[in-house]
Amino acid sequence: MMTAYLLFAVLIAGLMALARSHAQVRALGYAFYAVQLIFAASVWLWARDTEQLQFFTFDTLGSLFLGLLSVISLVAFCQSNVYLKDETLHPFKTYHISLALLCTSATAVYFSNNLAVTWVFLEATTLATAGLIYHGRSESSLEATWKYVFICSTGILLAYLGVLLLSTVATQGDLSYASLAGVIATGNPLYLKIAFLFILVGYSCKLEVFPLYTVGIDANYAAPTPASAVISTVLVNAGFVSLMRVYRLFALTPVYSWVSGVLVLCGVISVLVGAVYLRRTNHYKRFFAYSTTENLGIVLIGLGLGGVAVFAAIFHVMAHSLVKSGIFFNVAQIGKIYGSYRINRIGNYVSVNRLGSVSMLLGTVSLLALPPSALFISELMIFKQVIVSGQWWLFGVMVVLLCFVMYSLSYRLLRLLYKPVHMSADGYSVNRWVTWSGFVLILSAVVLGVTQPDWLVEFIESMLAG
Amino acid sequence: MLLALIVLYVVSLLYLSIIERFRHYVMIIALQGWMLLGVALLRLHASQWYELAFVVLETLVFKALVLPAILYRVIRRTGINRVHTASVAVFNQLMMSMGLLLGSVVVTYYMVSDSPFDMVFFGVALYAVLCGMLLIITHKRIFSHLVGFLVIENGVFLFAMAIGVEMPYLINIAILLDILMSVLMLGMVIARIGTRYRHMNVDNLDSLKD
Repeated sequence: MMTAYLLFAVLIAGLMALARSHAQVRALGYAFYAVQLIFAASVWLWARDTEQLQFFTFDTLGSLFLGLLSVISLVAFCQSNVYLKDETLHPFKTYHISLALLCTSATAVYFSNNLAVTWVFLEATTLATAGLIYHGRSESSLEATWKYVFICSTGILLAYLGVLLLSTVATQGDLSYASLAGVIATGNPLYLKIAFLFILVGYSCKLEVFPLYTVGIDANYAAPTPASAVISTVLVNAGFVSLMRVYRLFALTPVYSWVSGVLVLCGVISVLVGAVYLRRTNHYKRFFAYSTTENLGIVLIGLGLGGVAVFAAIFHVMAHSLVKSGIFFNVAQIGKIYGSYRINRIGNYVSVNRLGSVSMLLGTVSLLALPPSALFISELMIFKQVIVSGQWWLFGVMVVLLCFVMYSLSYRLLRLLYKPVHMSADGYSVNRWVTWSGFVLILSAVVLGVTQPDWLVEFIESMLAG
Repeated sequence: MLLALIVLYVVSLLYLSIIERFRHYVMIIALQGWMLLGVALLRLHASQWYELAFVVLETLVFKALVLPAILYRVIRRTGINRVHTASVAVFNQLMMSMGLLLGSVVVTYYMVSDSPFDMVFFGVALYAVLCGMLLIITHKRIFSHLVGFLVIENGVFLFAMAIGVEMPYLINIAILLDILMSVLMLGMVIARIGTRYRHMNVDNLDSLKD
């Protein structure tokens, strides 16, 4: 099944390159996302826990994020057609090919059962994302593309050093996670620590956390906004799945407590970066990209704490994907209406688009982790684990930093909704479908906050057990 | 013979810190590709033809021929010539490079002495990675950063030899193609940057900040 999916995906992307009109590109795009949805449904219904092509396994962790990818990328594709309707053919084609290849490589990362194969497809996401970032062909998009390709390539090269160090414990060069799990505890602790550090640094450019978070921020800024929704969710999730698999390996080693400390430290620094730059930035896309850094920082803290916080971390990533994609889809609409993303130039949105305003309000309340947001549940569980583990310094630091985050988010939201501005918003009519699609995604995260279905809880628990 | 190649490789890394023309960078990168070919062939005990073919493909074709050709093309297209905007003086760079060499020797001695890794290869690989980073940090021109990336990549190749692990071929080829694609993309981006910014300094790339 994986072979068929990869073949179809590459074939459709290839045909897109040959397309001679926008309509042909759109038709091929619908074909691609139909294949993506059929593939996701097949994995969920029939092929769970089966091994494919030796290097892929349809496990629960990958299946969950594939479901999210299929929904978010389909909405992003439909929104992109509206967002780029005045675009000329060549950049339109390049954009949709890059988006399709990004989804394909992220899917391969989700299901990869081998450390080296994960590495290869993570690098493939870099190349696909570069096509999206360079779409604007402006000086800033050129700068962002250079920084993204260069820093990601260097970071992923460092991750490869970590892979090489881990391969010293592998039997006969077998780098499958299952094989490594059996032997990793016998590894030299010093080499294991260095390997983890290299891998974390490499993956941080995808996860948008400290230390290589800046490339993710620039990518979100320069890419067309529907693509930013994919970058800050689908791509970030690819980084998370990769880290989660390595984390589960290191949980079996004597250096686990050291690894936990490193994750908590990186998490705290990421939340600090988010808290500081949410206040400083004057651009809505960068603003919500820093919010991703802050949220993924909380996820790293959850992983570092262990116990129930690992469950919370997975739940947090899932809910964050729904909320953040919904917000970015709304931000795309805001950008079109005002012709700018500058925070100090935009306001009075409530009188321009009421449903969009409700959507942004709900999305921001969700990001603030206030009830009934799903992020409230996950952050509550993480705080509970902080208290249980007796790390009061961490509790204090997190509370202070999250207060800054709450202030920045609330202040910017009120400004967006109510601040009187002199800019005219008459040139663009509000697209109801675009607003509704973002709203539904955010609403689904709120529903998850109100009630967590038993099957989902069992699903996540089975990931932790597997 | 192997030791002579390794010593020559270290000299080429030292020479990188005092280079003043971009063409010399490309020559050194090509030379390193040839040296890595020699080192790999001497180290490779397995006699399978496809293993040899892969090493030749990776080192000779890609590292010694294709990548330098891409770099020369970028130089011709952008018209860049001298590395005159280094933010650190050449003498200081040489001193720093020697300091990194000394540091690599010390770290290797304490870290690898009681492990199955090859100490010489490990030390040189570490020095190559650090040299690449030094090149990126101390130079302002974007082309130098691309060369730094390639030096790090060569260091990782040597690192794999120091550890002596056998990676599956499919993955080796994918990694090689990844690196080639990265360099192609970086080359394209550099060419476009070159048409917009005459000096191609990183100082030009500062519009993305908060």
